[in-house]
Amino acid sequence: MPTILSWLNVKRSGGGWGTTPLKNAAAVDTDLLILLSETGFTIEARRLQFDLSILAKHIPFLLEGTWLTFKVCLISVIGSLVLGLLVAAARTSSSTFLNRLSAVYVDMFRNIPFIVQLFFFYFGLPEIGIYIDALSTGIIALSIAGGAFTSDVIRSGILAIEPGVIEAAQVSGLKRATIFRRIALPIALRTSVRPLGSVFINLILTSSVLSTITLNELTGSAKIVASQTFRPFEVYFVLLVAYAALTWSVSIVIGALHRHLNRNQAEGVA
Amino acid sequence: MISITGLHKSFGSATVLRGIDLEISQGEVVSVLGSSGSGKSTLIRCINGLEKIDGGRVTVDGFDVSKPRELADARKRSGTVFQLFNLYPHMTAVQNIALAPVEVLNVPRKDAEAEARRLLQQVGLSERADAYPAQLSGGQRQRVGICRALAMKPSYLLLDEVTSALDPEMTAEVLSILANIAKQGTTMVFVTHEIEFARSISTRIAFLDKGQMIADLPTEDFFSDKGMAMPRVAQFLSKMRKD
Ligand SMILES: Nc1ncnc2c1ncn2[C@@H]1O[C@H](COP(=O)(O)OP(=O)(O)OP(=O)(O)O)[C@@H](O)[C@H]1O
Ligand SMILES: [Mg+2]
Repeated sequence: MPTILSWLNVKRSGGGWGTTPLKNAAAVDTDLLILLSETGFTIEARRLQFDLSILAKHIPFLLEGTWLTFKVCLISVIGSLVLGLLVAAARTSSSTFLNRLSAVYVDMFRNIPFIVQLFFFYFGLPEIGIYIDALSTGIIALSIAGGAFTSDVIRSGILAIEPGVIEAAQVSGLKRATIFRRIALPIALRTSVRPLGSVFINLILTSSVLSTITLNELTGSAKIVASQTFRPFEVYFVLLVAYAALTWSVSIVIGALHRHLNRNQAEGVA
Repeated sequence: MISITGLHKSFGSATVLRGIDLEISQGEVVSVLGSSGSGKSTLIRCINGLEKIDGGRVTVDGFDVSKPRELADARKRSGTVFQLFNLYPHMTAVQNIALAPVEVLNVPRKDAEAEARRLLQQVGLSERADAYPAQLSGGQRQRVGICRALAMKPSYLLLDEVTSALDPEMTAEVLSILANIAKQGTTMVFVTHEIEFARSISTRIAFLDKGQMIADLPTEDFFSDKGMAMPRVAQFLSKMRKD
């Protein structure tokens, strides 16, 4: 078959059920084949051309979206890391009040769908007079949600530290804050690189939801291009590859970082 | 002076220390002996403030370890060496040793690291000064642990079974270092199962039995008829010698 892809469509003969006839049948050069018909269903195979070149003139626009996704994710990763560190410190501190407060924050934001949090910030808050633009809302929402997951990872990292190591620091007279900063945190971060990587990759994936609040990041701009070109297949195929490449490169960096930070540790850790 | 009077400690309903009295003066080497579970580690952990005490009083050079304000001063005067070393895994030997002098005593980093290297040289580890704990053998790690405690120039060194995680060869190398430190006049409280070694370096032996200090004698007396006259001590020594 000379075409790159075959497309199957199920149609019940006589009724319009189950078919989504291509809106732009002419434009996509369909070549209809009746393959077989049985028990009232017709299966049609449409051979389509898979043609990326039609996206050429939209590349700058898509790149803009990619750049926005990159920017939003980078700031949000930093935001969640800072927030996560503070909250992890609060959750492992000796203050009962800080413990409770931080636990409530983590539980709340981990247990509410991100899109609901986002809508609350973007559509809910203006009702009580708080207006934040879409970009800032997106970054704030991602950082807050990411911070909840990040703090949890860092906290587990801290709790997994050999108690004797912390005791050695205590008896040598180091202050609590110094122990956190010089001992607990560096050890926890070393062991948490991989799980933190998963959190950040998740954050990148979640950033696609920001398209629902008019932010034309990667997904938002792809939606626009898809509706302009009537070529959803090509557009979303490119989007798929773009996200895969983005998250794949992040996991490469995370792997390298993990190996670098743990280069002097026991075999099992590295 | 480390002064312990009427020390009580329980974990939940289990009473582990029942009224311990013990005084340790500058220059003494006191070995704490006793069978497993008698409360030796708990005693050490009450002196360095790792356990909250339930009754009695523990002071180090007059600083009460149960008072948060005084604990820091008490801890500056004692150093602890642990059975499982407890080195900071993300720091080199030198960094492990220099951390507390820099952070607690405000020694300039350069000086603290130079001192760390000097200590490492004394224990035969100059070559491994920049190695990480994971890159060291057990005996080497414990030597770093000893240097880390000594770097704070403590008046008292607390040692809890510091060789029991080591094989005989490494045990010998660590014990010879400890014997040297004892000779230099460092006050030591030494929890151990190495009876012969305890006998050779201690000035005094304290014997714990089920949370009570049933003997506190000069070393010669403990290992003579005086000690043997106590059934629990005689039983313990004969059992330890058999093993
Ligand atoms: N954190 C704890 N919680 C509950 N019980 C404890 C705790 N630490 C110690 N114990 C109990 O206290 C008793 C004394 O323990 P300790 O570790 O002081 O004994 P030890 O003399 O050092 O023994 P060993 O020679 O085996 O090291 C034991 O019965 C032990 O089970
Ligand atoms: Mg013990």
